[in-house]
Amino acid sequence: MSKADNKRSIILGIFVLVGIGILFAAIFTLGGQQNRFAKKVEIKAVFDNVEGLKTGNNIWFSGVKIGIVKAVHFRDDRKVELVLGIDDKSHEYIRKNSTAKIGSDGLIGNKIIVIEGGSTDVPPVESGDELRTLKGTDTEKMMSTLQVNNENLVGITENIRQLSQKVLRGEGTIGAALTDSIMANNMRTMMASLTQAATNTNKVTAALANFTAKLNTQGSLANELLTDTVVYSNLRAAVAQLQGVTQTASALTTNLGQASEKLNTSLSSPDNTLGLLLSDKATATTIKQTMVNLEASTAKLDENMEALQHNFLLRGFFKKRDKEAAKAKEAEEKAQQ
Amino acid sequence: MALDKIKRMFIELANIARFVGRFFKELFNPPFEFKEIIRQCYEVGWKSLPLISLTGFVVGFVFTNQSRPSLQEFGATSWLPALISIAIIRALAPLVTALISAGKVGSNIGAELGSMNVTEQIDAMEVSGTNPFKFLVVSRVIATTFMIPILTFYSAFVGLLGGFLNINQNENTSFLSYFYEVFDAVDFLDLFAMGFRSIIFGFTIGIVGCYQGYHSSKGTEGVGRAANWSVVMSMFLIFVEELLIVQILQGLRV
Amino acid sequence: MIKQHTSTIDYNDKVIDIHDVYKSFGTLEVLKGVDLQLFKGENLVVLGRSGTGKSVLIKLISGLLMPDQGTINVLGEQVDELDVKELQKLRLRIGFSFQSSALYDSMTIRENLEFPLVRNKRHLKRAEIDESVENVLEAVGLSQTINQMPSELSGGQRKRIGIARTLILQPDIMLYDEPTAGLDPITCIDINNLINEVQQQYKTSSIIITHDLACAKTVGDRIVMLLDGRFERQGNFDEIFDTDDARVKPFHDYNFID
Ligand SMILES: Nc1ncnc2c1ncn2[C@@H]1O[C@H](COP(=O)(O)OP(=O)(O)OP(=O)(O)O)[C@@H](O)[C@H]1O
Ligand SMILES: [Mg+2]
Repeated sequence: MSKADNKRSIILGIFVLVGIGILFAAIFTLGGQQNRFAKKVEIKAVFDNVEGLKTGNNIWFSGVKIGIVKAVHFRDDRKVELVLGIDDKSHEYIRKNSTAKIGSDGLIGNKIIVIEGGSTDVPPVESGDELRTLKGTDTEKMMSTLQVNNENLVGITENIRQLSQKVLRGEGTIGAALTDSIMANNMRTMMASLTQAATNTNKVTAALANFTAKLNTQGSLANELLTDTVVYSNLRAAVAQLQGVTQTASALTTNLGQASEKLNTSLSSPDNTLGLLLSDKATATTIKQTMVNLEASTAKLDENMEALQHNFLLRGFFKKRDKEAAKAKEAEEKAQQ
Repeated sequence: MALDKIKRMFIELANIARFVGRFFKELFNPPFEFKEIIRQCYEVGWKSLPLISLTGFVVGFVFTNQSRPSLQEFGATSWLPALISIAIIRALAPLVTALISAGKVGSNIGAELGSMNVTEQIDAMEVSGTNPFKFLVVSRVIATTFMIPILTFYSAFVGLLGGFLNINQNENTSFLSYFYEVFDAVDFLDLFAMGFRSIIFGFTIGIVGCYQGYHSSKGTEGVGRAANWSVVMSMFLIFVEELLIVQILQGLRV
Repeated sequence: MIKQHTSTIDYNDKVIDIHDVYKSFGTLEVLKGVDLQLFKGENLVVLGRSGTGKSVLIKLISGLLMPDQGTINVLGEQVDELDVKELQKLRLRIGFSFQSSALYDSMTIRENLEFPLVRNKRHLKRAEIDESVENVLEAVGLSQTINQMPSELSGGQRKRIGIARTLILQPDIMLYDEPTAGLDPITCIDINNLINEVQQQYKTSSIIITHDLACAKTVGDRIVMLLDGRFERQGNFDEIFDTDDARVKPFHDYNFID
């Protein structure tokens, strides 16, 4: 009625409008983002175990969110049937022979459905189709893969140990070979191979030492994660043994050098028993191959470690470790001053 | 003595029930006091906006800041927006708004109606042909019932902005990705629950304030008591209601 | 000084007829069998000690309180038998000037005065409302306060605004609850004159509650005295105090010591 009343009404109107605007903006953002309002194509997928997946969890295809799980229920055969709501605009990329598996968006993150594969010559899915399902890779599996790697490493170490013993025993044979004179050149080649092997061993040792060092700095976590302290000590032992091998090998090389000198001086004696040496050459190749294998597996372990470090959940832990290490270092430096 | 107290308590309860009953009866009985409702909405809504906005902002900012260390422990500060979103939309915005309003609006209503009662203004209204219940009580309860939810939306928004400011300073998260994470963490049930509970809180604040004021004992100390009790009683009821609503929502969510 | 006989009183027309009314609050019995008549055009003064139930009596008349027993007839209507709507309609014909003025604190003087009009006579135009407001304000002599808030006025000014607010509906019956309490003598005289003017100008019948005998003397055509929950004495000023009753005499002696 009065001017003051009018002004009040206008302000109130704006106030209410903006307030309700906030609500509507929220509703539409939510609806748009979670695609609640978009048209959906509903397809099915049946799993033995959905690992805690719930209605509303996301569905990914090639890392893009394309829908949400609409319903989770048991079938008569006690398997779990999921109803997947796929956005209308994305469903054409999912083929009838695509597969679904359960994944997660982090180490302990939300469960998601991951749709993969499908060939372009197969028609797209339609409403009511059932997708083939795969057992997904989960954290447990990742851990067990790591475990297998470790076991392989232990096996390799064992091989090397046996090998080095063989080489040690072979000393006699080489000694025997010294009196032989036929295969001086062959001998030289073999020696070269052995030197090469020794260098390789050195490299592997370095790599392993490097890895061990890493395990040392982040040792307790590795222990926790691997839940296997035996592996760790085995690794240590392996490195020590490898070092032993290297030393033995270099000693061997020196001996061989002396032997070759001897050989050079007494080239006149032509009858050499080289069968054993030849077998030794084969052994050298085996060593070489082993070294390659070892290197490869070390690299793999390195990768695993790297992957673990990059996992966001553990990132903090590593950071904290680093910080503590830095602190300790600082303290040391202070103590030195 | 104790018996007397219990008897008085039941009489009080009956009075409150009758008061609420009368509210709903008068609510649907014409004539409707639109002008007075608008006036009260203005008083309750607009006049509380600065205070509610400020508290909303501070709560969002501080809550974010205080939550960071425990998430940092796991290197999961990327979860902060989701945490803030859930905390603000599910609990903080409705509760903080309701409690602040109980203090500001509730006490105001209690004191105003109390003093009108003491100085016979309510009687005067009645004898000059106006239904004071409708004019004073219904309009105020309607105003709080509708304005507290709107204030809650404001404070939720401002609270999320406060959280964003803090996260932007510390984690350099962009506005878009912050709000993406915020809305990823909540669903429609959360939004509607926020609206629903703030409507309940608003009604509580209004009806308690009006009851205390309308039935205040005559005399100046009656006014103070009415204002005081409006705040105490509505805050208490808000917590009880929150408890019940949380239980109901848990049932709905499963 | 004693009010001259008012010729316009119609003693055959009872605008208010109260018969054998009882009212108690809890254990406190306030009114114990009250009988009272108010005739058309008459100014009736009710005297009585504080707490005897004078205010309760006029609240019963306006329907703010309901009697425990007895009948209250106002302008031909049985107050305790009316429904809300009928009561509201009847109230528009009764002006009630409260002991505490009861101005609406949150409204300006203009809004206070136009409140009964705006809410009850919705067909009125803005100009008509403004005119009525200005008229009653002039009648109580406070035209300059129109845009002020009640809190800015003195007690006497508020009382006059309160009377103005009841006059604006031009009621048939006026109920004044202690109109001169706490005011200076000159303001009292103003108000007494106002009450008499209202009686003559609008032909209203009034009940005036007061402790102020000067007021009772100047405005009252008839005086009744509430004693122990009943009206025991009535008559004009001189008749009332022509007694040795210890409950009555101090009233007179306190005001008029020779
Ligand atoms: N609503 C009520 N509830 C309870 N008691 C009341 C109520 N109204 C009045 N009373 C009691 O009734 C008695 C009479 O009160 P009332 O206001 O009529 O006195 P009064 O004659 O007007 O006195 P005063 O001259 O001081 O105004 C008082 O004792 C008061 O306590
Ligand atoms: Mg009184």
